[in-house]
Amino acid sequence: MAVLILVYAMLQIVRHAEFKQIAMQQAVKVRPIAAPRGLVLDRSGQRLVDNRRALHLVIQREDLPSKPEVMTQLAAALELDPAALARKIQSYRLAGKGRPLVLKENLDEAGIAVAERVRSRFPFLSVEVAPRRVYLGDELAGHILGYVGEVDEPLMKAKPDLFHLGETIGKEGFEASGNDKLKGVDGQKRILVDQLGTEVANFGQVDATAGRSIYLTLDAGLQKIAQEAMGEEAGAVVVLDLRDGGVLAMYSSPSYDPNLFLNRLSQDMVDKYLANNLTRPMVNRPIQGIYAPGSTFKLLIALAALEKGIATPQTAIFCGGKKNYYGRDFRCDKASGHGTLTMVQAIAQSCDVYFYELASRLDIDDIHATAEKYGLTERTGIDLPQEKRTRIPSRAWKKKAAPRDPKWYAGETISVGIGQGAVGVTPIGLARFYALLATKGKLLTPHLFYGFRNDQSNQLEAAAYPSPKDTPLDPKHWATLDEGLAEVVQNGTAAANPFIREIAKLVPFSGKTGTAQVATFVDKAHYARQAKFLKDHALFAGYAPRDKPQIAYAVVVENAGFGSTAAAPVAAKLVKYWFVDRLKNPLPPPRGKLVDPFLPPPAPAVPE
Amino acid sequence: MKERFRALDKRLLWVLLMLIALGTLTLYSAGRNTSQANIWLKQSLWNGLGLGLILLLATTDPRRLFRYSFPAYLLGLLALMAVLVVGKKIGGSTRWFVIAGQTFQPSELMKWVTLLYLSQRLGSRPAETVGRLELLGAVGLVVFPMLLIQRQPDLGMALSFLPILLIIPLMKGLKARWIIALLLFISVGGFTAWKFVLKPYQKQRVMIFLDPSSDLQGKGYQVNQSRIAIGSGGLIGKGFTSGSQTQLNFLPVKTTDFAFSVWAEERGFIGVLLALGLFGLLLDRIIDAARAAHTNAEAYFCAGAAGIFALHLLVNVGMVAGALPNKGMVLPFFSAGGSSTLSFFLALGLIMGSLHRSRVK
Repeated sequence: MAVLILVYAMLQIVRHAEFKQIAMQQAVKVRPIAAPRGLVLDRSGQRLVDNRRALHLVIQREDLPSKPEVMTQLAAALELDPAALARKIQSYRLAGKGRPLVLKENLDEAGIAVAERVRSRFPFLSVEVAPRRVYLGDELAGHILGYVGEVDEPLMKAKPDLFHLGETIGKEGFEASGNDKLKGVDGQKRILVDQLGTEVANFGQVDATAGRSIYLTLDAGLQKIAQEAMGEEAGAVVVLDLRDGGVLAMYSSPSYDPNLFLNRLSQDMVDKYLANNLTRPMVNRPIQGIYAPGSTFKLLIALAALEKGIATPQTAIFCGGKKNYYGRDFRCDKASGHGTLTMVQAIAQSCDVYFYELASRLDIDDIHATAEKYGLTERTGIDLPQEKRTRIPSRAWKKKAAPRDPKWYAGETISVGIGQGAVGVTPIGLARFYALLATKGKLLTPHLFYGFRNDQSNQLEAAAYPSPKDTPLDPKHWATLDEGLAEVVQNGTAAANPFIREIAKLVPFSGKTGTAQVATFVDKAHYARQAKFLKDHALFAGYAPRDKPQIAYAVVVENAGFGSTAAAPVAAKLVKYWFVDRLKNPLPPPRGKLVDPFLPPPAPAVPE
Repeated sequence: MKERFRALDKRLLWVLLMLIALGTLTLYSAGRNTSQANIWLKQSLWNGLGLGLILLLATTDPRRLFRYSFPAYLLGLLALMAVLVVGKKIGGSTRWFVIAGQTFQPSELMKWVTLLYLSQRLGSRPAETVGRLELLGAVGLVVFPMLLIQRQPDLGMALSFLPILLIIPLMKGLKARWIIALLLFISVGGFTAWKFVLKPYQKQRVMIFLDPSSDLQGKGYQVNQSRIAIGSGGLIGKGFTSGSQTQLNFLPVKTTDFAFSVWAEERGFIGVLLALGLFGLLLDRIIDAARAAHTNAEAYFCAGAAGIFALHLLVNVGMVAGALPNKGMVLPFFSAGGSSTLSFFLALGLIMGSLHRSRVK
């Protein structure tokens, strides 16, 4: 009896505090409340990304069963791969505190029925209500918006203070680059749970603070035009606002539907589908596609020649259809030759021989220096993840890129003269260069972030945009280039297309066609027989209107042939919408095909 | 009726009623918000029946009962054998008969029947005339039902027969030296065998024989949660129906094996002292009864009963605190259950009767 009293005194008096602590710990739980992310709106307030209510099947951290066989049974009941589930639980256990383990996301009605049935056998499961993202235009702006997902382990390990397990973060596009702007502050509640983890009482909670909604500089209507104009063709479209560098449209074709990427468990399926897709829809072509600029590069060559003083606007060069440099014939696109041309005429007619000649008088490092001066060698700094750098060759570059053959050959410079060879640009980089020409030398920083939405007034609070850098572009040189670009559309390579002429009458616009070779062929008959993926890329870059330009654009249509027939019409459609149709009848706000299983479809968003 | 009530030993009765009250409160709290919400009512019914039994037995001459002890013992052995064949298997062991939806555990009653029979057999003539061979036979009479019970398997119940053997040293005069020497021999011999003679797989076999549930998960969990309940109760407890471990179902099997943890959590160390004090008074009065008994048989029975009650108390209260291995041994008046309750009251009725007779004569 005395021993028993001692035992109880030990537990209840000496070790009381310790046991009290444990009893508290297992009955009182702090559970996070997920904060909804901010909405993403286009520049006029139309919704591009919305939030809806979604139900997830989860296991709260403390309810994770310890026996592996239970998890095997659960995997069977939920038709999940047991090994994958075991790995998931393993990594979930290793990580620190955080949100519950999500087994199945975004349950639809059938999913809820399954979940409820399985829950009766596995009482530790629970169904959690959480906000879910909806990307309204489906494929309209997949690459720009990106998508969200659960934070992955490497990121969490790299920045343990910033992320917690199970947190939803942006994975791609603006969701990723604007993650800090969009995410809210998670709330939490202190609740009393019973042994099964069921909430018995709520001791109080700190509500989640929703993330702020964001305006993008994007115009949903113009973006839609870009999408439609590209159709089934692969390629990229970029339209920049010359006032601030805001991206008005940016379309990567083929696009993807971010809604498909929200269900984590279908990721394997999606990955497979994408990995086998030759058109590589996951590449964000405007900022990650490296294209030979073709003739659109001639403006830089002209500028380099003018600045170095080896040519003037009046410099006349004879084109006989081809010219021999260093023992090799370099052909002009017009086999019969252009005759004698001045610089403006050479730009308008896109004479290759003229620019071979200029390039032959320049050194590759001159060309690189000029490109560097006007920002073409750097990343544009757009607020999207993983932008690639435009590649402008130089001697130093070749040493690094081709250590086995580090010498730069003069013949290579001739190819660079018409935007072929080692030179490769991103469409955003090209658009920025043409924006520089449009603004007489202002180097803009393309960006998507326009500002936050004021929660009270629902109005845009425009944020400061990255200030443009001034470059020492000589107005005299600029005038020559500007005239050349106008001539392309008025009387030059693009003018042959009746559609271009029609639009140019409405809105006089400027631009340069480009046709970038993918492969070299003996003659044109041979080329016509070739497979689509060996055909030339068509390019068009420029600005509009010619006087007082407001927008700059760059269009790449892959394997489509001539810039004048494939790429210039896309730009013309953009110009037509932006300066004519938009003002008369703007396109309706984007509507996705996704149907919310729980709520009636939302009323169409009214431009705010 | 009045006479019968007068025949009751008032000291024992009060202690009994107090313990019943404590147990009922505990079961009310333990069953709250579970599927066993009215278990306290059910248990009260058994307690009522038990008190009626005491009232009946208090004025009955124990010798009349002793007369039936041999057939009862034989019947008990038959029942123990039968339960192995037709009994209901619950949680891996076959201990229960199911009669009209009600479970009945024959081993509970058999413990008291064995005590009764042995007391009668050894106590009906002068102690000096009982030979050694007969003593050995008596030990066999206790060990045989124990082995049958271990077949179920139910080690806790089997071990609770051991106090019956207390009768033997009582008969031969309590010689402390003998008992100490015996205990020493058992512990040293057992330890030596364990340490040096048995191979690991043999040890494991012994372990599984001793505790068939040791290879199942969850036993550690139960005791752990029970310790948390008791420890977090502190000095004065969390208050009636306010124990988080109990009310949120962290505490397992709280209406039977771990009922005392409920009391300890909600009433604290003070409540534990109160309960242990009452049990102490109960044991004290039973020992009084043994001392005052008119016949050897009654004395042996009371002494054996005191041993059985003490063992239940020690093992259950020690087990829920984690001081003893997890053996399913119920705590009288706290743990719910019809068979055990009626068996305890049957024994108390006999003790009441013995006390009454010792007062009358």
